[in-house]
Amino acid sequence: MAKYIVRRVLQFIPVFLGVTIIMFLLQNVVPGDPIKLIAGDKAMSPEAELAIKADHGLVVTDENGKPVLDEKTGEPIPTPLIQQYFNYLNGLVHGDLGTSYKRNLPVTEILLQKYPYTVRLALVGIVIEAIIGIGAGIISAIKRYSFWDTLVTLSTSILVAMPAFWLGMLLQLFFGVLCKNWTNGAFYLPISFNANGEFQDWVYYILPAFTLASVSTAYTSRIMRSQLLEVMNADYIRTARAKGLSRKAVIWRHALKNALIPVVTYIGIDFGVMLSGAILTETVFNWPGVGNEIYLAISQRDWPIVMGGVTIIVIVVMIINLLVDISYAFLDPRIRLGASSNKN
Amino acid sequence: MSTNMNRRTFVQGSLAASVLATLAGCGKKQDAAQSTSGGAGTAASGAFRYYISSPDCIDPYNVNEDQGTQVTYNLFDSLTDFDYEAGKIIGKAAESWEPSDGGKKFTFHLVKGAKFHNGDPVNSEAFKRAWTRVVSPTYGKENAGVLDYHLGMVKGYADVLAGKTEDFVGLTCPDENTFVVELSMAYPDFPYVAAHPCLGPVPKAAVDDPKAFYKAPIGNGPFMMDGEWVDGQYINVKRFDDYYGTPASIGAIQFNIQKDVETAYREFQAGNYDKSEVPAPQTNEAISQYGQSTDGFTGTPGHQFLTGEEASVYYLNMTVTDETLKDPDVRRAISLAINRQAICDNLFQGLRKPADDILPPSIPGYEKGAWQYSHYDKEAAIKLLDAKYPADANGKRNLSIQLSFNPEGGHKEIMEMVQSDLEAVGFTVTSDTREWSAILDDYRKGNTQAGRLGWTADYPIADNFLYSLFKSDSGDNCSKYNNAEVDKALEAARSTIDDKERIAAMTAVSKMVGDDCPIAPIMYYSHREITSDKVASFNFDAGRHPHLDTAKMA
Repeated sequence: MAKYIVRRVLQFIPVFLGVTIIMFLLQNVVPGDPIKLIAGDKAMSPEAELAIKADHGLVVTDENGKPVLDEKTGEPIPTPLIQQYFNYLNGLVHGDLGTSYKRNLPVTEILLQKYPYTVRLALVGIVIEAIIGIGAGIISAIKRYSFWDTLVTLSTSILVAMPAFWLGMLLQLFFGVLCKNWTNGAFYLPISFNANGEFQDWVYYILPAFTLASVSTAYTSRIMRSQLLEVMNADYIRTARAKGLSRKAVIWRHALKNALIPVVTYIGIDFGVMLSGAILTETVFNWPGVGNEIYLAISQRDWPIVMGGVTIIVIVVMIINLLVDISYAFLDPRIRLGASSNKN
Repeated sequence: MSTNMNRRTFVQGSLAASVLATLAGCGKKQDAAQSTSGGAGTAASGAFRYYISSPDCIDPYNVNEDQGTQVTYNLFDSLTDFDYEAGKIIGKAAESWEPSDGGKKFTFHLVKGAKFHNGDPVNSEAFKRAWTRVVSPTYGKENAGVLDYHLGMVKGYADVLAGKTEDFVGLTCPDENTFVVELSMAYPDFPYVAAHPCLGPVPKAAVDDPKAFYKAPIGNGPFMMDGEWVDGQYINVKRFDDYYGTPASIGAIQFNIQKDVETAYREFQAGNYDKSEVPAPQTNEAISQYGQSTDGFTGTPGHQFLTGEEASVYYLNMTVTDETLKDPDVRRAISLAINRQAICDNLFQGLRKPADDILPPSIPGYEKGAWQYSHYDKEAAIKLLDAKYPADANGKRNLSIQLSFNPEGGHKEIMEMVQSDLEAVGFTVTSDTREWSAILDDYRKGNTQAGRLGWTADYPIADNFLYSLFKSDSGDNCSKYNNAEVDKALEAARSTIDDKERIAAMTAVSKMVGDDCPIAPIMYYSHREITSDKVASFNFDAGRHPHLDTAKMA
């Protein structure tokens, strides 16, 4: 087991480098000079521009942090991309993700402030996904071809087909505008902060969390249904029935347990995705999480925030995936990990 | 449950534990239920709740956008202030000043006994420290700023900016309360420059611990920080009781950070804000529901929607080096062809006013009719063009213009109206829409043919518009206008000592530029601010300075 984990952790390295290098190159390809944007509509002096570039490591500097000028041309020397990337990695190892271009605040600080909101939204989302998804899947499997089965199949098809941001806008329109009086404005976003910047009410979580979980809830119920149906045809289920157990007991005690394995895997991986900040959902609902922050940062070309946000997402997704894989081994003893897989 | 559940129980248990750990690590604060009943925290109870969008900076050295500036205005007092109502410059941290040496030297006499929020005295050194901090790339701050240009005419500027020295030779402090500024050229308007919020004084603490100061600046203004700036959430300030001027009537302000004005306005309607902005589509609704402010700048109950004209102008930029646009008659015709009133009426419910000059009427030097081509006259435009570019049977001329602009923020609608106006007089118009970040550099370099820009006064003087936008070597001269005569007249006008003569000279320059039409002024911006009925009075002047120190709650 330990060997397996070590191997998986080592696999993180190429994945991590791959994703961050792509991100890093992309930000240098996108048109628009982020430094020029800092001053807004007004032009800044070339000296100020140079000082800002030096601050963010975009030009070569001496040990005092002063920009080094090219001996021949007298122009500042841009830091080579590869050097910038190594600086980023070096900072990362020291827990430093750089400083925001626009706000001059440390990126780690900005992201740590936003992350709790993304985590809380993901938790509510995952609970919705687990309860509704698994519940609907079980019902449609047990009562196959019934009205309920058709309803679940139909509604999941609709949810899968509908982009999350569109669903979010429809929900806002319905609960926030059309049913405003009936709901007494409870669901009606925007989110209110009280004086200490906290949410005023848990009901504000419902619509964004449902939007966030919508597509994966549909998938969860689909997977649940097909798995349960498959398991119900297995030999050991027939044996259990033959030895006189009731249908109910067979389903709850024997079938469900095994049918749940892929579902749990799916939900686990999905949790990782949710934790990485749903950019669309958070933007539609003006949710103060990482996704929204990254969206804003992209529009302002605030690359350190984008880079830092993506870094955290990659790490979180990799860790969650690892946990899911480990849990797999516990859930299904037939899956042999690490050394034992060599026997095959 | 069956006995062989232990594996799953284990996994569930450890997952739950890790989730709890995550939450704990993220610093889960109050419970939702608690925060509902608890309401506002003690510090901010009864606070004036003021909407701003996410500020870039509230530390004076880098207040380069108007949201952070609204906070900074309340924390810091500069030497002077411009009173828009009276139309004159008044003393703030300086009780008086006098120019000498033909407008090249200014001696400011500071108010005696004034204190910073931490008790330090506000002396001349505090100003020297602050101003050096604005210009120097490294002195007393963690990150470089972009506002050095405000002090460009002060002696020693270049050396400080280049990082060669941290001693700003043009600034001297003969005694505690006397601050002397020496300029490298005559600039009688300097007291207006000194009113800029980035030029407020800073205590020694700013230089000793710039990191802490950045998030909780210590100033000399009527309000002081109550805790730190919490990024993306709020900034709390409270009344400074040792303020040298008249103490504020409101005890505390909470600057509430929201991502957009739509959200803020809904919060306002729900009764959560005392001051917000109104999104354009809700203009009429806001007028009928809350009533328009009588003077446009002061909100009182029943007259809560402030729609006064700001000292900023929206214009069509034309690159004069372009093959088509180098002919002044083409530029004049473009300016005449734009139906400004229709844009203001259709897109801004008449709240914005058509611009007939690059200078807004609140700026001394504005003169009605100074820009003779800055009004709508389709016939005159056609007449101008007919001479050189005859129209074919379809009314088309051999003239094509590409409008480059960023479509977001309502610019697309404005540019579409401009496009149809130009087509109506025979131009072939194409549009090139890109994101602001991608287009800004091309504007600056003159790589676009025509595009949209806006200009907001740094200080309410004509020089700030004319010199910045039309001096041939100015970084903000996006039309690449280069007229040696205008350059010379600008230099002469800005160094004229006598106020009346200077203003008259500026008007004359403005007329010269207006005849050449390197840009076509389209409209003046107007306020879209709104106050709640709990606010007895609140003044928000044409320079977007919120006078919260004189605001009163009902």
